[in-house]
Amino acid sequence: MNKTKLLSLIASIGLSLAGCGGGSSGNSPPLPPPPPAVTKAEAFQLLNQATFGATQAEAQRVIAMGIEAWIDEQMQMPMSLQLPHLNNLPQPSNMAELQVDRVDIWFRNAINEPDQLRQRVAFALSEIMVVSQLGALIDAPYSLASYNDMLTQEAFGNYRNLIGRVTLHPAMGVYLSMLGNEKPNPALNIRPDENYARELMQLFSIGLVELNADGSDLLDGQNQPIPTYDQAIIEGFAHIYTGWSYAGAPSFEQARRNRINQTIPMQLYPAFHDGGEKQLLNGLMVPAGQTGDQDLDAALDNVFNHPNVGPFIAIRLIQRLVTSNPSPGYILRVGAVFDNNGFGVRGDLGAVVKAILMDDEARPEMPMEIDGKIKEPLIRLTQLWRAYNGSSASGKYPLVASYYIFGQGPLQAAHVFNFFSPFFAPAGEIRNSSFVAPELEIATEYQNTFITNYFLLLCFGLNSANPDLEEDDVFIDISEEQAIAADTNALVDMVVDKLLGGTVSDVLRTEMIGMIDRIDTVDTANRTAEAIYFVVTSPEFAYQR
Amino acid sequence: MKKLNRREFLATTSAAAATAAIGSYPGVAFSQVVGTTAPFPDYKALVCVFLHGGNDSFNMLIPRSNAEYSVYAASRQNMAVAQQDLLAINPVTADGTDYGLHPSMSGLQGLFESGRAAIICNIGPLIQPTTKADIFNGSAKLPPQLFSHNDQQDQWNSLRGATVSKTGWAGRVADLIRINVTDQQMATNISLSGNSLLQSAEETVAYVIGSNGPLEFSSFSNSGDPNDIFYQQRLAFERVINANYDTIYERGFAEVQRRAVATADLVNGALNDAPALNTVFPLTPLGNQLRTVARLISVRDTFAMQRQVFFVGIGGFDSHDDQVMNQPALLGGVSEAMTAFYNATVELGIADSVTSFTQSDFGRTLTSNGDGTDHAWGGNQLIIGDAVFGRDIYGTFPSLELDGADDVGGGRLIPTTSADQYAATLANWFGIPDQDLDIVAPSIDNFALRDLGFMI
Repeated sequence: MNKTKLLSLIASIGLSLAGCGGGSSGNSPPLPPPPPAVTKAEAFQLLNQATFGATQAEAQRVIAMGIEAWIDEQMQMPMSLQLPHLNNLPQPSNMAELQVDRVDIWFRNAINEPDQLRQRVAFALSEIMVVSQLGALIDAPYSLASYNDMLTQEAFGNYRNLIGRVTLHPAMGVYLSMLGNEKPNPALNIRPDENYARELMQLFSIGLVELNADGSDLLDGQNQPIPTYDQAIIEGFAHIYTGWSYAGAPSFEQARRNRINQTIPMQLYPAFHDGGEKQLLNGLMVPAGQTGDQDLDAALDNVFNHPNVGPFIAIRLIQRLVTSNPSPGYILRVGAVFDNNGFGVRGDLGAVVKAILMDDEARPEMPMEIDGKIKEPLIRLTQLWRAYNGSSASGKYPLVASYYIFGQGPLQAAHVFNFFSPFFAPAGEIRNSSFVAPELEIATEYQNTFITNYFLLLCFGLNSANPDLEEDDVFIDISEEQAIAADTNALVDMVVDKLLGGTVSDVLRTEMIGMIDRIDTVDTANRTAEAIYFVVTSPEFAYQR
Repeated sequence: MKKLNRREFLATTSAAAATAAIGSYPGVAFSQVVGTTAPFPDYKALVCVFLHGGNDSFNMLIPRSNAEYSVYAASRQNMAVAQQDLLAINPVTADGTDYGLHPSMSGLQGLFESGRAAIICNIGPLIQPTTKADIFNGSAKLPPQLFSHNDQQDQWNSLRGATVSKTGWAGRVADLIRINVTDQQMATNISLSGNSLLQSAEETVAYVIGSNGPLEFSSFSNSGDPNDIFYQQRLAFERVINANYDTIYERGFAEVQRRAVATADLVNGALNDAPALNTVFPLTPLGNQLRTVARLISVRDTFAMQRQVFFVGIGGFDSHDDQVMNQPALLGGVSEAMTAFYNATVELGIADSVTSFTQSDFGRTLTSNGDGTDHAWGGNQLIIGDAVFGRDIYGTFPSLELDGADDVGGGRLIPTTSADQYAATLANWFGIPDQDLDIVAPSIDNFALRDLGFMI
């Protein structure tokens, strides 16, 4: 292997390949009683939608419990957070260094902790309500960890609470510049910052155009889409979001970031809040003279109650979890649960998530060529590590260069538009047939090659058979495979079971066998590495069925 | 020097020719089907430098004479650049105002004054010439979703006007010239900054590489030796990605892998053999990207390239916050990297064949939000190269007065020149005949000037 070259490349970007050991997701409660019949393939499918990667053990639990009971159990799991971990570490003089530990705890939770569904939904939310380490938050790791914890806490909560907390979180305040936004000063041609006003509506809640309940564009009499807002409404919301900054400061002007205030909601400084009337969505005028808190509640209620939110959030969460191209009926069904969870409550995200995963379209009997999606690159990695107990001697997963290698990483988007667009369609078949494949936006020749090479390193270099691992190297445990690796077919079966749920195309199986047979039967480590490498770099592993 | 295996390109395309290319490179394969070949006699390259986030370019080009500067300063208040700091430029065509550049852009000043650079002022997406009255009385046909980042980036890249388009103007250019570049062994469009709509069209797919060039697959060999396991690994990998798959997703993914495997080692091989450039580039993301573009241009003959479009880009221009603090580095970085790139084309003896130009989401509000600015519309763009009629400002410089003739509110300026005219001018130079300019720039017929005249 040309490992030297890849290693030097990785060294040159300052990436440390270490990892730490996590266990498996072992400590689960006792199994509840009678399971509806779930096939192994269905269990794998569910787990790849709802966790950071299916494992044999968890698939057995799904088969034993049934899908709904498994989801219900997941939603009751104690939640795994990030900030407590960072708070237990010494504070470095250069705060940016702590981003390594922030990414580390994200991986620890994603690979090892049992509250997988919650973590996976929080990750999906972090791709809708984006903040990022890349930019002004580089030296605010506590703030980012706290933001991620908030998404984790609200993953099955109410969307209205979620956008309330997102709006006042100082990480978002910094990222979309609501923090420090002040009322107009006409003498200096200063007017409120429109950044958060615009992106909350475009990206977090309602989108640019009015939607039908099935997610399609609502058209006017000339068959044209209808914009959801105009500049006057943007300015109305921009005035709403004035007067907020870090909590606990002596004054608005003196509010500066510290370790504590970057993790707690922003505070209103009333003298800097605009007291005029403000135009909001759907013709609502907020009267003059309200407090900043009243204004904010009115504005977020106004957004929350816009009929777009149901289909908008349904599409985005379905795309992150299940399929790039949900049918109108799927969107309609999930959006209806957003509108009413069955108990008259709007915005119940737990009910929405459950509706997404329990829908027939999440488990089609006769899959179509547009069912499923491309896995996010990061999830290809976590799936491998979960299936093979990826861990390091030190316990760490210091993959802070994740965005560089995979084109994405935890809270590491290049901008508020996320790693990829929900509307991206690559030229050719997909675009010509008006479908989308968002994850393919970052599956460029360059990024795919980087990832393929990285998997080569992981499979051949960073495995349990390597005696030269360093304490931060995250390695996969291939001892089970090595024990049977002299038997090519048995080896292929085992790897295919762990990574593909037992289903593999003829071509991949044939090529795996052909390559494994080129390696001496006593070289069990490289035979195993070859098998795993061929699966994790294949189109069928990149695909989530 | 080895060349790409044409068979690899042709394999997927001949059958698909009628149905639009899935997985084909532009030009290369399709020319075989079209049949007529009229090769260009020369080489030309366009380099798009995309400034993501919306460059506040009314702080890049600034009126310097007293009367006009005072209007500027009154509007911009705490966002204003000091008059005495402006770098003086002296355009050939006088409009009665003196102009200057942001003090961080000395490289650009040198290029402008020596006739190597031009500026197109107050340009942006338009469907038709548009006045303030048209907008306020509702008669204006406007591009949808003005002031939204991704939509206005798409406008610049696709020139789609009011109707949805899924192709980019440089992609359409590549489609149009495919019969003229039949010998090319690489994609006409190369991106060093990810997938861009600009470069994508019916029959065109851009090849996406990194800032320093393509990556090669670590475990693949081209030795042809059947006992070489790395050669066998490559063949086995290719058989997997060449297989038939049931879903659009696997097919889309496999197609990218096919392009990557087919091209990376050949391009890198050529780059490794290329003589080093003496020109020093800044060690910035934009500097690295433009250095790689210059190196790729230096090996153009290896791949028989006649026309190339490169896409590079950097972010950070969405200056809602801390604009005064951040703008010098942003604009200075653009000036320094683009100047180095121009110098490299001089070193390569090809400065008259390579034109670099900027695009950006939009200009920004003349007013401030306290410590930054918000999304607006018209802005100023740069064109650099020896084929540019330089040392001039093209278009009509707008009134910078708040609520003035060009302001739709808050200092959002209505463009006085359209992005369609800009692209059409560049495309015309690139070899697109006048009658095809409406394919490149669909709204071009709505504007009196089909060519802004800034290219030789």
